[in-house]
Amino acid sequence: MTTIPALAERIVDAMGRLVALAEAVDDEWTYIHDLEAVWVARLRAVAAERVSEAADPAIEPAIEPAIDQLVAEVGLITDPHRAIDWLSTLPQATLVAFGEEAW
Amino acid sequence: MRFQDAARDARAVVYAGIQADALVARMAALLDDATPSQRVLARAVMNGETTDPESWRVAFPRLFGRAAGSSEVSVERSEAILEASLAVANRGEQVRSQFRGAIVEAVTERLLARRVPVDVLRHERRILFDGVTAEIHPYDVTVEVPGAAEAYDCKWGARGISPDVLHQLDDARAHAAEEGERLLPVLVVFDARRSCEVRLARQTAPRTGTRLVSIETLDRLAGRRSVAPA
Repeated sequence: MTTIPALAERIVDAMGRLVALAEAVDDEWTYIHDLEAVWVARLRAVAAERVSEAADPAIEPAIEPAIDQLVAEVGLITDPHRAIDWLSTLPQATLVAFGEEAW
Repeated sequence: MRFQDAARDARAVVYAGIQADALVARMAALLDDATPSQRVLARAVMNGETTDPESWRVAFPRLFGRAAGSSEVSVERSEAILEASLAVANRGEQVRSQFRGAIVEAVTERLLARRVPVDVLRHERRILFDGVTAEIHPYDVTVEVPGAAEAYDCKWGARGISPDVLHQLDDARAHAAEEGERLLPVLVVFDARRSCEVRLARQTAPRTGTRLVSIETLDRLAGRRSVAPA
């Protein structure tokens, strides 16, 4: 059974792919890694809260396809500048899918 | 301190055409009353590669359909935002970028118009101070009220926050104060505050006198509290 922490980790992996692409923009190296660090921390904190609060770990059926789609979107990105935009956008969209505040 | 229209150079003329595009006004009208989650949808689609609307409906299940528990009105608005955002995304990379900036400016202006009279609201203005060389870059939006002026710089994403931007906003505030005037500089960013703070954390340019409005607090421009996520 898929859980919110497992889905969050899929997004964390996707963010890693965005970072690898975005690193081509030398001037933004620090910003890229700082962005990744704070958003990964936020996603993992949300996932941990869900685990501790859930009496029933089952997730809404629409969430997994949403995460599949967001990960697929990352797979389409080839431009490093677009990747930097998505390092901020992807976690926000993920949190919306989880039913959390997007920030 | 006085305000002046920006020079109508070639860039300004081209950009004015984009600002006047009906799609910019339509998008701004939709985002004006949108929920925070709908604004994230707009940001994702206008930043995205996929132009298939169904893919975005799947990616944002809470904004479309019964699973979301959304009202008919909010689903209708989500659909309208999706359609308009895809229209922007389909304009091609360079034009898309210009449209996104113009949309942030237009929605800023619309929200401000709920709080201040329309006749004091202007865009693409320079601010002049005695004995100070004028900045070349105009302010995106200004509220020109004597004794309570406001100057807005609008950015699509946190990455747009640069030392130049912060210095220009703070310099305007400081020069106004030197003349005994009050000028509130505001940075509006269509991105999460968390990302803006990451960007700002390593900047040494002054920012304490500049207000930051991010995607989750846009409604404060209108003098209203941000709505709950939906």
